[in-house]
Amino acid sequence: MASKGEKHSPLEQFEIIPFSNTEIAGYDISFTNSSLSMIITVAFITLFLTLTVNPRSLVPSRMQLVSELMYNFIATLLSDTVGNNGKKYFPFVFSLFMFVLIGNMVGMVPYQFTFTSHIIVTFALAAIVFIGTTILGFANHGIKFFSFFYIPGVPFYMHPLLIPIEVISYLSRPISLSVRLFANMLAGHTLLKVFAGFVVAMPFFTGVFPLVFIVALTGLEILIAFLQAYVFAILTCLYINDAYHLH
Amino acid sequence: MVDEDKLRDLKERIETAKSINTPLTKQNKESGAGFGFKISTEIIAALVVGVGIGLIVDKYLGTKPFGLIIFFIFGALAGFLNVYRVMRRIEKQ
Repeated sequence: MASKGEKHSPLEQFEIIPFSNTEIAGYDISFTNSSLSMIITVAFITLFLTLTVNPRSLVPSRMQLVSELMYNFIATLLSDTVGNNGKKYFPFVFSLFMFVLIGNMVGMVPYQFTFTSHIIVTFALAAIVFIGTTILGFANHGIKFFSFFYIPGVPFYMHPLLIPIEVISYLSRPISLSVRLFANMLAGHTLLKVFAGFVVAMPFFTGVFPLVFIVALTGLEILIAFLQAYVFAILTCLYINDAYHLH
Repeated sequence: MVDEDKLRDLKERIETAKSINTPLTKQNKESGAGFGFKISTEIIAALVVGVGIGLIVDKYLGTKPFGLIIFFIFGALAGFLNVYRVMRRIEKQ
């Protein structure tokens, strides 16, 4: 539907459209299309998990099996990386994983906004993980947590060099965590839109080729959507593990 | 009984399906682009933090431009450290 005067930038899909103009104490807290897709995601997760597990049948139905599969997936991930201590953090890691996964999947639905393609959203999630694991580290080890930046078995004159490097490496965790998810989603969705533009722009029937490519690319995007949620969850587990076992 | 025949048939079908599927799961490895992405974000993130600290140090201590230079180098080294750790983690698996 190429009506006149409408711009067709591949980045147009990432535009935030406010549905209301709410402002509290100078902060813009309007309800936007991003908020809407987040609510859809949370509602979908809640309804799906509660409704499918509700029958509590010993021989699970297909949908109940999906829920149990996801539960098992995160439970084994946590016990493999953190061990027995990890059970406490299951609700946190599971909600994080489901939010990112279903958020990415909701973004794959045509006309639907992908909130994980905005760095502020992914950075907020990564900051929660980062601040949480840092507090956890201090709670477990107290002031000894700073020995995390001290590498034993290194000549003493190397420490002025190594400690800043370790600190920067630690501080870069939330950034690499958020940028990876954000960049993957942004790049994937932009690529889809660019190739969709080729379908219309190419002459005669040759537009079929980019169309076929888009179909393949959509499959790849769904794989990436899952993979990125998995990476987010496994890195959260590793950071929790670091808060327990320094090195 | 008819049910037993059905079950045997089902078992055969499951086995053939499994034999078809097994070689596929073995070649289930990560794509090169995903791997490159992982490495590059590690380096970029460490550089961003290093440059950020450098700029803050310069602003408050008035050591322009040495804070930026020193922390840029620290950031780059931290980036290499991050990449080394990622590689070691992948090798372990």
